[in-house]
Amino acid sequence: MIPTDPAERDAMAGEYVLGTLDTHDAREVERAMASDPDLRAAVEAWEARLAPLTALALPEAPPPGLWDRIEAALKGERPAAPPPAVKPSGFWRFWALGASVVAAGLAVFLVMRPVPQPPLMTVLLTQQDQPAWLVEADGGALRLAALNPQPLPPDRVMQLWALPQGATAPTSLGLIPPQGRLTVTPATIRPEPGMLIEITLEPPGGSPTGRPTGPILFIGRLLPARGA
Amino acid sequence: MATSDLTMRADDDLPRLLAAVANGDQAALRSVYERQSVRLFGVANAILRDRDVAADAVQDAFLKISRRAGQFDPARGHAEAWLAGIVRHAALDIIRARGREMPTDDPALGDVAVAPEAEERLAASAEGRRLRDCLAGLEPKNREGIILAFVHGLSHPQVAERLGTPLGTVKSWIRRGLLALRECLA
Repeated sequence: MIPTDPAERDAMAGEYVLGTLDTHDAREVERAMASDPDLRAAVEAWEARLAPLTALALPEAPPPGLWDRIEAALKGERPAAPPPAVKPSGFWRFWALGASVVAAGLAVFLVMRPVPQPPLMTVLLTQQDQPAWLVEADGGALRLAALNPQPLPPDRVMQLWALPQGATAPTSLGLIPPQGRLTVTPATIRPEPGMLIEITLEPPGGSPTGRPTGPILFIGRLLPARGA
Repeated sequence: MATSDLTMRADDDLPRLLAAVANGDQAALRSVYERQSVRLFGVANAILRDRDVAADAVQDAFLKISRRAGQFDPARGHAEAWLAGIVRHAALDIIRARGREMPTDDPALGDVAVAPEAEERLAASAEGRRLRDCLAGLEPKNREGIILAFVHGLSHPQVAERLGTPLGTVKSWIRRGLLALRECLA
């Protein structure tokens, strides 16, 4: 039901635009808008208020061929079968794309969260720019959490390393347990802005040399999260 | 990086192009696509986090744009916002149809986090700066809930899970946050 109380109606319009209504309520708003100019005006006002937030989405080139699909659909032809919606994400496919190349490790910041002391953190991304690991410094400790765990082959482990700015060799922070969570307090280094964090693929037990021997799977730089 | 120039500059031609689309001019629709698809695909992908599905959403959206271009009224809002609204709702329709099946431990954590350029993109327009300033006045969790829902399509339960807050609390926070934004922007 579309509420009759004006404040409730406006709140529902706002939640429709925000996207938090369930399917049933969203459909109801859409149906009602067709015959209810006030509700439609309320929805449009909310669209206008919140529209600037779309700028927070990272612009990204669509796949080539998308326009052709749209054009075919417009002509009423059956559009070319879209690729399967669920990507196979088997381990080897995953690494085949990323193993030989340093995965694009881009620091991603928390914005708009006012904090007295900006925490140091970074998000390590896959080559497809999907967040893979969250790394946060907490005083002298570093916390690592998998955001998108991927299976590992049985004969390989992932090892976490840190390279302070100016250092010539990375320091091992240990092996990453299968559940993908690790908190370490390195004895010899302290998390600092600009410190490189990397994850390499290593033989069981970790690198035998004390230096990374396998490919760098993920890399990123600790940076202070900016406040509002 | 010229992203902001390419994507955020008010595109004065868009209202004219949409008027042509309303008259059945498919070349005009293609021009809209060429000018806006990078921005719009980003909007869909931020919600769906899957390029293939995001492409489906953009396709659905352009079919709607082609049918509804006559409803766009430049007196009532920016063409960019109108286009993005259609794309967002197309993406939201897809996640609703799928029961918002994204697992809660999925890359969602990237959600709160936005790249540093994102704030610059937000601040590139006067409306964006106003909204940013109003958002800054909200309680942090109200603000995060609103951003997670709007930009990343998270449902109330997903926002609750992400923020470690009871569902009922999240619902009332989001509502309060929206009301506070409306006041602030009035």
